[in-house]
Amino acid sequence: MAQKPGAKRLLIKPAKATSAGVFLALVLAALMLLGCGGGSSDSSSSGSTAADAAGGSGDPGSTTGTGGASSDANGTTSGANGAEKAAGSGRLSGGGSSANGDQPSAGSKHGPRIAQPKGEPEPGITPQQRQEATVASMALESPSSQASSAGPQALPATYTCDGKGTSPALRWQGVPQGTAELVIFTMNVQPVEEKLFFDWAVAGLSPDLTEVEVGKLPRGAIVGRNSFGKAGYEICPPSGAETYVFTVFALPRKLSPSQGFDPSALRKEVLDSSGNVGLLALSYARG
Amino acid sequence: MRPNAIRVALGAMLAAIMLTAAFASTASAAPAWKFEGKALEGTETILGGAEKSGLSMWGMTTTCDNFLYEVDISNSAGTGKGNVTSLPLFNCYTNSTCTVEAIEAETFPWPAELKTVSTSNYLVIKNVNVWVLYGGWFCPLWGVWAHVTGTAGGLIDNATETATFNPSSFKATGTKLEALGESVEWNGKFPTEAFEWHRNQALSVS
Repeated sequence: MAQKPGAKRLLIKPAKATSAGVFLALVLAALMLLGCGGGSSDSSSSGSTAADAAGGSGDPGSTTGTGGASSDANGTTSGANGAEKAAGSGRLSGGGSSANGDQPSAGSKHGPRIAQPKGEPEPGITPQQRQEATVASMALESPSSQASSAGPQALPATYTCDGKGTSPALRWQGVPQGTAELVIFTMNVQPVEEKLFFDWAVAGLSPDLTEVEVGKLPRGAIVGRNSFGKAGYEICPPSGAETYVFTVFALPRKLSPSQGFDPSALRKEVLDSSGNVGLLALSYARG
Repeated sequence: MRPNAIRVALGAMLAAIMLTAAFASTASAAPAWKFEGKALEGTETILGGAEKSGLSMWGMTTTCDNFLYEVDISNSAGTGKGNVTSLPLFNCYTNSTCTVEAIEAETFPWPAELKTVSTSNYLVIKNVNVWVLYGGWFCPLWGVWAHVTGTAGGLIDNATETATFNPSSFKATGTKLEALGESVEWNGKFPTEAFEWHRNQALSVS
């Protein structure tokens, strides 16, 4: 910013100049501007580097570089050339080693501002965790959901207690070979009374199945008792917004629970045996 | 034409060419890393550190009491570049029943660059790659890997020497993080400073 007036002065000078010498000076000044990038972002930098390089390691030079460029074209010519050379040779290999000691005194106003972390960094992932963790390798989507401006897709009211309360359509792909059974769980992301809240739990689904339709389940489906105490699907938040996690697990062996099973108990078995899952988050805001 | 006149004419032409080039360069000036107002030459390492920075996804937020990133920076052709070389996270937890069993940033370096949008400068970090393993019996994501990937843009404030990542900065830079098929919101204000050659010097971007 400081060099702008100087640049203006350079623009004015040629109109008055009549000698080749003045024009030569102007050209060299222009060359210097070009070498500095010409912009407010870069010119001061190269100029100052020039000053550093030309003036020695002890010369902070920011003012000299930029001021010289604007006020005295001839005077800054050598500095500019020196800057280019210095830039070309690389600062760290030469002046870099002394850069720390050459800091302008104004720089010492800065002190450490980053809060010192307490304790140790979080532990990295262990090989055992890598092996045992479930990978969300299956793609799960709901044709019933609606786009949302932020966060998860929206679950329309018809799939809640504010509407018909039917279960939404779900569609998935990526069921691995050798899957014996599919299990669906729907849970609140946020706990209710500090416990995981199940809205829907369905087992006994064929591994060949790739979707469930709205409000329907295929023959052979086994429905668990949800946290409302009902063997079926229900989403009914007390108020405000809630996010629900829909999951489809692929099980390598059949678990075959009985109708009205406890979803919490089945989930433990599922997590112990399944390494593949599809996840989908849907949100619903009750007015 | 007299020799003097020719010299004057040639000089004027050259000057015009140079000035045009210089001002064209001004118009397309890209943001560069600066210390004490001078553009960085060579390389430097900066550290950004936020207190209580959080990743929000799936209706829950994973917060780390200290969230740091280390970036090797340089200017290339007048534009600030960088490589994120580490991202240590301290004391992470969620606002749900989920615990953070493990969290780790991987596959460094992540390339970064400075970008100007309108009149504001941003630090854009690409190839973000963070794995989170949640735990807790009452956690709906228990035992499932959440893999946070994508690009993150943070607003740089020269006055406070901070980079702020939030939905506004992501929107301005057209960047996005995702995990488990959902978008991830990253919120955090990172005071940033050098800790090699330019330690204790004022860091700015312009």
